Amino acid sequence: MTETLMPGGGVARRPLHFIVMADCSGSMKGEKMQALNYALRSMLPHLVDWERDQLQAQLLIRILSFASAPQWYVADPVPVGQLSAHWRNLEYVPMGRSNMGPAFRAVGEALSPDRLERRALRPAILLVTDGLPTDPPGAFESGLASLLEMAAGRSALRLAVAIGRDANSEPLDRFRSPEVPVLVADGTDEIADRLVTASIAVSRMSEVGVNRGALAEQLNIADPARRSQPEVPTRQASQGGYFEDIL
Amino acid sequence: MTNLPAAAPPDQPRRTHSWLVLTASERGASHVASKAPNQDAVAAERAGAEGAVAAVADGHGHSRHLRSARGSRLAVKIGCQVAQELADRLGSADAIFAQPDAAGTPAATAEELTKLAEEFLVPAVVSRWRDAVLADVKAEPFTEAEQALRHAGDDAGIAYGSTLLLAMVLRGWLILAQIGDGDVVGVQADGRAIEPVPADPQLDGLVTTSLCGADPRSDFRVAAVDTTQHPLLAVLLATDGYGNAQVVDRWASAFSEDLAWMLKDRDVNWLASQLPSWAARCASSDGSADDTTVALLISAAKAGQRAGQDSDVGSEETTIPAVPHAGTVPVQVPAAPPSTEPVTMRQLAHRPAPEPVMLERSTPRRKTTPAGEQAVSHEPATTEIPKVRQGQAGDDRKRDSGHGGDLGGAGLGGAGLGGAGPGGAGPGGDEPPTTEWRPPGTGAR
Repeated sequence: MTETLMPGGGVARRPLHFIVMADCSGSMKGEKMQALNYALRSMLPHLVDWERDQLQAQLLIRILSFASAPQWYVADPVPVGQLSAHWRNLEYVPMGRSNMGPAFRAVGEALSPDRLERRALRPAILLVTDGLPTDPPGAFESGLASLLEMAAGRSALRLAVAIGRDANSEPLDRFRSPEVPVLVADGTDEIADRLVTASIAVSRMSEVGVNRGALAEQLNIADPARRSQPEVPTRQASQGGYFEDIL
Repeated sequence: MTNLPAAAPPDQPRRTHSWLVLTASERGASHVASKAPNQDAVAAERAGAEGAVAAVADGHGHSRHLRSARGSRLAVKIGCQVAQELADRLGSADAIFAQPDAAGTPAATAEELTKLAEEFLVPAVVSRWRDAVLADVKAEPFTEAEQALRHAGDDAGIAYGSTLLLAMVLRGWLILAQIGDGDVVGVQADGRAIEPVPADPQLDGLVTTSLCGADPRSDFRVAAVDTTQHPLLAVLLATDGYGNAQVVDRWASAFSEDLAWMLKDRDVNWLASQLPSWAARCASSDGSADDTTVALLISAAKAGQRAGQDSDVGSEETTIPAVPHAGTVPVQVPAAPPSTEPVTMRQLAHRPAPEPVMLERSTPRRKTTPAGEQAVSHEPATTEIPKVRQGQAGDDRKRDSGHGGDLGGAGLGGAGLGGAGPGGAGPGGDEPPTTEWRPPGTGAR
């Protein structure tokens, strides 16, 4: 048996970064916060199972809690199995507001080219909130713009879960990927289901590639409450000559 | 059109540089799982009397690019053809390659050759690739199933979308052209890496430019390197399945340092036995899971420092006997009489990638002598690489041509020996299995 020597520093699966933006404002106090923690805990095993069964990605997760200001709850990307095994509940911020702009900016910084591996797959971002953004005028827009300025932020699968119909607001439509509807949890008992749906979306990213239409169909199947017909963007050759780089 | 300079005086010394080309291509684990073909392609050919050209291409994976496996094969075939024509043109204009004059001014400059590549090579590749695509569609129109995968208003070329990385080594010059992602790494004698092809800000790791883009001519990046001024041990062309598997973000430096050591410590036959494993490792589910294709151009003068002991590497006669991959492929010694045909390529069976042994950086492996002294070992743990008579290797080649059934493989040849490995373009000749492209959903492959 001839030994195999390989030049370089070794090989590994491509990282798939999954960032959860969790609303921990004062309005999340009580049952909502408990339900969110339960939902996040419930979502992780699905992701662990998916990671084990697929071939392409190593799923690395981070959690950003936000209220009046964003704060990294899990700052460094950790394997999803590790987080699942050492989960600690998020806590709400008394009197905290739902300022999303600075949170978007923080995520954008985390996805800047100098902080993201060159070989990383498209990231996924999941925003969970129970209300409208409370940013000062212009702050939501500038924060979102800073996230979308980043190539990785722009191309990320951006999912939004609204806790309560009222939370399904126009600002969330501006955040979410155009082809993926806002997932609405009418009550706290539905939060876990919506997050599982979100995890399915994340796990299907590498399977359907840029065929986000297929992804939207799958989400609608997984989330029968949603029957909207999302817009599926196409990037034509004549519009810049780019072609999606999928496997 | 760039005018070539007049021929050099007959007594002008000519710079001769022979190169070897090794190739390997492996179907990605994700493609195996989804029953998609290997959409990469690779080819290597002689270019001029002494040069060589190698090309790798990565057909896009999205269902919209439903004939990208064909597109990549057309790309490497046409890339090599055009490079050969360029070599022929340059071959009739010796002055451009003449030695530096007394003032040290070379007859040709990198700028001139870059311009030549931009004005001749790139436009020719782009237009001929498109012509070939249209001819292919005319010969075999899109089926109903394929039409269903195309987007409204898609140009025919989009179905064939592919990248292309092209390297030509010719009389002391390395000429490079690239569109789309992938990597070109030059390995210098001191182990430092050079990446001559200019970076493209459009390639952010998430999207790629393409031969089927709106303006592929402007998306090509070209470079020329005077290898007499910047001697190179080797040049790697790799589709992105290779780089995306590397743990180290800036992996070219580590690769270059390690390969320089390998080239000094091991012979080229050993390298040929290793290359398919590298591609397989990257293409596996432990790596990028993507199709992975590499072409490794090796300066025969450097390779011959060791390989010359056993073969004609480095001499004017560049034929190398093929050597089966010891330890992973049973050596099948055919009973047929020896052939006198030169060996141009070698087939290695499709196989799981063995666990690699990562190099300890810059540390030669040593063994303890009976006297207790440390002696540098120049041999792998299994020191014997089976030698195969020329005829055996020739028969191997015939088998390759016959079944063309394996996706992984390595081509091994002297400069310009036509070492298109499995997965490489070989229209009218050896075809990789991916040439038998079938539309998705047929259950084929």
